[in-house]
Parts: sequence; structure tokens; C-alpha cells
Amino acid sequence: MMNTLEKLNEIFIEELENPAIKLTEATTANDIEEWDSLAHIQLVFTIEKAFNIRFTNQEITSFKSVGELVKSINNKVNNG
Amino acid sequence: MDNYIQLLLEKIEAKNPEHAAKLRKNLEGMDSTYFEMAGRFYSNYDAYLQREAQTLDFGISRYLKLCADMTDERIKFMATGKYSSTSFEEVEKRVYGNTDTMTYHMHGLVLGQFLWFEQYERIKFFCDRIQHYAGDKPGKYLEIGGGHGLYMMEALRHLTAYNRFDLVDISESSLQLAKGIINDPRVNYYLKNIFDFTESDKYDFITMGEVLEHLEDPLQILKKIATLIGDTGRAYLTTPVNSPMIDHIYLFNHEQEIRDLFREAGLEIVEEKVVISEKIPESRARKYKAPIMYAAFVKSITQ
Repeated sequence: MMNTLEKLNEIFIEELENPAIKLTEATTANDIEEWDSLAHIQLVFTIEKAFNIRFTNQEITSFKSVGELVKSINNKVNNG
Repeated sequence: MDNYIQLLLEKIEAKNPEHAAKLRKNLEGMDSTYFEMAGRFYSNYDAYLQREAQTLDFGISRYLKLCADMTDERIKFMATGKYSSTSFEEVEKRVYGNTDTMTYHMHGLVLGQFLWFEQYERIKFFCDRIQHYAGDKPGKYLEIGGGHGLYMMEALRHLTAYNRFDLVDISESSLQLAKGIINDPRVNYYLKNIFDFTESDKYDFITMGEVLEHLEDPLQILKKIATLIGDTGRAYLTTPVNSPMIDHIYLFNHEQEIRDLFREAGLEIVEEKVVISEKIPESRARKYKAPIMYAAFVKSITQ
């Protein structure tokens, strides 16, 4: 079974149309050219659907790294 | 005055480094015309702030509030495919009738004018072509919805033979801001509705920038403009595609919808400019519904 980071990696590859993406918890938007503010919102919507969770607008704009995203997803999944 | 742009970026960087980095990237390679035009405009804005006993930090904080609003509106837009406000009455309560909101919104747009490259492309297109389309002869110039006054400032510079400059706006606060920044006695200001202008109020040139998206029925004002420019006048019209903001009502999903509406109103496009507001390929801009700036010089189809 894929962990959150692996699942996120698949989402990023598909949404940003870049098969070369290899996420780590330290990855930020500065490391991936296609991850701009417009793509970020669509990415988050896809993540919400994939993990069956919801983020607030404030959360959507506050993620600074993949690690923060993973932590937030795991919190929401585990706390239902 | 490129120092003023640098100063703005440094002040923004101190409060929002990610946003400042994006602005710096988008403004890379701007030419001398950009800095000259921005310098003239921000000199007037700076003088206005001083007369109002305000500092640039006041403008910066309002600009960042505007940006936060825009992000919020974009999230809603991407989730629903619609603008969050659907009626003029709703925006009247939410924005126009709310002095605090109106103030930060207007000051934010003043700074955005030269921090957002597509806004510079919009004014540059106007400045490059206005003499060609307005003619170097005495004439009457009208701006509908003067915003922060930049277009009127540039019209005054370029149309030296014109002998009448009118600015009409339905918002008192918008009109006062434009008046304060333009600060030129040649301009007549009217706090009234453009639909109250009569058939005999003909103009040689009309500018209406970023107004259509604020209206429930933009076709009616386009028809009014077609009447006011008559058989010989020209107009410069701009409106955005996919641009969610707290005071935008009418959504254009594609620039073709704007062209179709112009034609329905009896206006023929003589030259147009389309600029994607992010420096990304068109396919990605369409996928993510990036805002697109649309501007056109038009004439009456009967001409």
C-alpha cells in the first residue's frame, strides 16, 4: 500500500504533467517549475478528492513544503 | 524612479517574500518606458498620499490585503467555476458601500498597476496606439470609470490637441482617488451614471477600462458607447477573462465571448491585445483558467 508521500507523488506527476517529479518532504514550489500558485489550487483540490478530506482556504495558502502537506493530510485522514 | 519599484518590492518582500519573488520574476527585463511611466504615476500617487497624510506603508498593506482577497476569490472560483458575487446589489453592499473595503481595494489596485506585468501591457498598448486612433486634432475625450486615474493621465499627455477631457464614475470614492492622483485642472469630473448622458453627448474618443466585469448586463453599456462615439469616434475597451475578484460579477470564460459581445453591441474591433497574466504556456493558462487581459480599440460597425 502506498504511503501519503508516494500517493502525493503520483498526483503531482499527473496534475503537473511532469513524470520526472520525485517528491521528498523537503520539496517546495521553488523546486518544481510547474508548481505555481494557479497549479497549487488545482493540486489541492485533486488531493482533497484523492484522500477524501477538505482544507480551509487558509490551509490551502499556508503549505510551504510537501512535508507540511503530508503532515496535514495524515492529521485529517487519521482524525476523520 | 525605478527606485520606487524597487522600494515597493522591498517593502512587499518584508511582509510576503513569496509574493515579492513572483513579482520580481514577472518584472524581469522591463524596458525604460515601463520605469518612466511607473515613475510618473507613482510620483502622483506619492504626492496624493502625502496630501492625505498617509505613507507608502499604508498603500503596501492595502495591496497585500487585496492580494489575499484575490487568492480567496480564486480558490472559490476554481471550486465552483463562477465568480462569488452575482449581482450589483451584492457588490454594492460588500464593496462599493463599504468605505474600508473600497479604500484598500482601490489603493491595492494603484500599486498593482505596475507590479502586475499584464496591467502594464494594457496601458502600454493604449499609449502606443491612442494618437493613431484618437487623432491629432481638437476633440472630446471621455473616460468611463476612471479607476486610479492612470489612463486619464496618459490621455492628457498624448492627446495634446484635444480640448475637453471628461471623467465619469458612479463611485464617489473612486472619483476622489482618480481626482487626487490625476491632479490636473483640465479634467472635468462627473459623479453620475453613464446612462444619464444624452444622445447629443458625442465623444471623439472613449476609454473604459475594467468596467464590463463589474456589471450584470455589460451589453447595455457597450451599446451606449456605440451611441456616444457615433459614426466617427473610437473607443478603447478592456476587460479580463477568468479574473475572480470581490467586485467582479460578469464572467468572461474566453476572450471570444468579449468579441461576440462587442459585435452584438454594434462595435467592430480594429485592433486588440490579449495577454495571459502569468508567464506560462497558453495550454497551462487555459487548464488552470489563468486570468487573461483583453484590450481592444473599437469603432461603430456602421462606420
